[in-house]
Amino acid sequence: MATKMLKRTGLPLDLCERLSKYQIINCRDFLSVSPLVLMRLTGQSIHKVYSLLKIVSKACAPKMITALEMKTERCSNPSIAFFPTSLAELDEILHGGLACGTLTEVTGPSGCGKTQFCFMMSVLATLPISMGGLDGTVIYIDTESAFSAERLVEVARCRFPDYFCTEQELIKMTKKIHVYREFTCFDVLRRVESLEDDIISKGVKLIIVDSVASVVRKEFDTRLQGNLLARSNLLSNEAATLKYLAEEFFIPIILTNQITTRMGPREAVCFQPGSVADDLPLSEGRGISPDGETGYATAALGNTWSHSVNTRLIMQYMDFDSRQIIVAKSPLAPFAMFIFTIQNSGLILQEMTNTRGHLFKVSGRKFKGDSEVKTTEAIFWLRVQILDFSRSEFAALSTPALPEISQC
Amino acid sequence: MQRDLGSFPLPPALRAKLIGCGFHTAEDVSAVRASELSKEVGISKEEALEVLQIVRCKKFGEESQASTGSPSLRKCTALELLAEEHSQGSIITFSSALDEILGGGVPVAKITEICGAPGVGKTQLSIQLVVDAQIPKCFGGLGGESVFIDTEGSFIVERVAGVAQAAVHHCHLIAESGQDEAQQEAIKEFSVSSILSRIYYFRCHDYVELLAQAHLLGDFLAEHRQVRIIVIDSIAFPFRHQLEDLSLRTRLLNGLAQQLIAMANDYRVAVVLTNQMTTRFGEVCSSLVPALGESWGHAATTRLILHWEGKLRFASLYKSPSQKEATVPYQITNCL
Repeated sequence: MATKMLKRTGLPLDLCERLSKYQIINCRDFLSVSPLVLMRLTGQSIHKVYSLLKIVSKACAPKMITALEMKTERCSNPSIAFFPTSLAELDEILHGGLACGTLTEVTGPSGCGKTQFCFMMSVLATLPISMGGLDGTVIYIDTESAFSAERLVEVARCRFPDYFCTEQELIKMTKKIHVYREFTCFDVLRRVESLEDDIISKGVKLIIVDSVASVVRKEFDTRLQGNLLARSNLLSNEAATLKYLAEEFFIPIILTNQITTRMGPREAVCFQPGSVADDLPLSEGRGISPDGETGYATAALGNTWSHSVNTRLIMQYMDFDSRQIIVAKSPLAPFAMFIFTIQNSGLILQEMTNTRGHLFKVSGRKFKGDSEVKTTEAIFWLRVQILDFSRSEFAALSTPALPEISQC
Repeated sequence: MQRDLGSFPLPPALRAKLIGCGFHTAEDVSAVRASELSKEVGISKEEALEVLQIVRCKKFGEESQASTGSPSLRKCTALELLAEEHSQGSIITFSSALDEILGGGVPVAKITEICGAPGVGKTQLSIQLVVDAQIPKCFGGLGGESVFIDTEGSFIVERVAGVAQAAVHHCHLIAESGQDEAQQEAIKEFSVSSILSRIYYFRCHDYVELLAQAHLLGDFLAEHRQVRIIVIDSIAFPFRHQLEDLSLRTRLLNGLAQQLIAMANDYRVAVVLTNQMTTRFGEVCSSLVPALGESWGHAATTRLILHWEGKLRFASLYKSPSQKEATVPYQITNCL
């Protein structure tokens, strides 16, 4: 819309000719210039300039829709608004699953399960709608060469053994997943910008970019002057294009990110699990620099990128086998944390058991404690520190990293 | 009036011709008739008429400023302004702590900016405000309609419906416990679908669409006189990635801010803008500051910064002409 040529907006043609001599050819150029300069360029009075501005604005402004119309459109449209992840508790918290038309980011330390999650979602997207899928094709942009077709087939076979009982079904499923390997930032950006044609021709219902961070961090060293700005620009452009695609075609987009350590004074560290009952000094164990500042791990790619994604799921280690997935940012869901393991069939949520037998007061809802309390429905209103543990370090710790809730 | 012709918004070519023929001040021009002017200067009769209209209308406007004048040039005493401010009301946020520090709620006819880190609740607060602006007057609200301009795509209808449901429920409780008849009446009209039907939603994908929408908003508000709040969520996102030229960005933002202030005043709407945070690299450590630069900080009348401290969310009133700086905790539940 911004690049709509002035000739097609309803302005008189001779005016368009005159403006093109000053390199003003589309709506963006016209609206970026101040009214006084426009007066000079067009040779018109100020009132005429205002009416010209209105004509051009009408040509590229968005259409108005009331919220009620949006809702009825969503209800009447047979396509679903949320893409179920097949992890039941997670879907419940997210009001149905990953919201279509938004960007969902999955972040976590290496080896945590982000790529496994992507495989699982790819398989799910190819399933028919009756089974909780999207009945469409998948575009998988792989920047780390981590895509393994064998693993994909294994997940499909183990998770849905009845559906994928024949070779034929498997072949059909794998044909629906299109993998693009891009190894530089520029390639990724170009691929993303050219996705529109593929989406229409192939009936794409899910786009996965795994991972956004690896190429960007390879190419942009933020210690160098000017690189931070260039990196933010690139990421914002990518985010804007992906958002446009997501909304235009109403499909979910999954992106993966990495973890970085941010150095800062201890007070600035906002996320402290169990600071109420401090038997797990996790924050103190991490990277204390010589200046006495501690580092804490957060999602990579900076603040601007954090603003661009709509939903953020953080994965981290708990102990050898189990990991946590945390809903950190969502327009719909409160904070929640779930424990999962990775098995043959992909991600499996574990039931959270606590052997303490205390009453937990969580945002006004009380759960009676037995000797073993099943807290699958408990919603933890905590902000959990994102920990950058590798497996070997975890083995050295004696207690598991389950955050302590205030006991009463 | 000895006003120089150069100060009138005339087309430059015409102005050059007029000056060339010896017309320097407004008086010279207004003494002549349109046909005479056209013959002397060598311009068409329509152009001459246009010149005379501009000159005369400006003169007329200046002389009669004391009596009526156009709305934006009106003079008034501070007492009148006080009465106006009292009658305007503000938009409550359903979080009493926030309302307190804002002095009753988000003020009408002013620009309020909400800044915060990602995930802290800016979109949630904006959604709450567009629903709250519609609360009927007998419940303490403004009974108006809302405009939501979305640049990020975080407006999910299901969430809005949830917030609206909570607001309706809240009002039902008040109406049932009280005896007020007006409230009983109003509650029949106030439902989730009526709320949703009065939220006007625009999705702008880049800054050009946002600028275009701002130009057209004036007419939209003139048609929909019941609109009491405009929310732009967020104003930072489109301006932060496509514009490399920072001076252009500052100029466009200032122009946008001026348009919004004019609209806020003329049509008595509250304007709420959501901003992002960016990292400023200092000598020792980096800190989070509101995005869009220093000069943007002057655009908003009131600035509210939402941040984390430990496990709680806090809202700080950072800039306000009438309220003291304060920090209060808040929570996001079904309604804020």
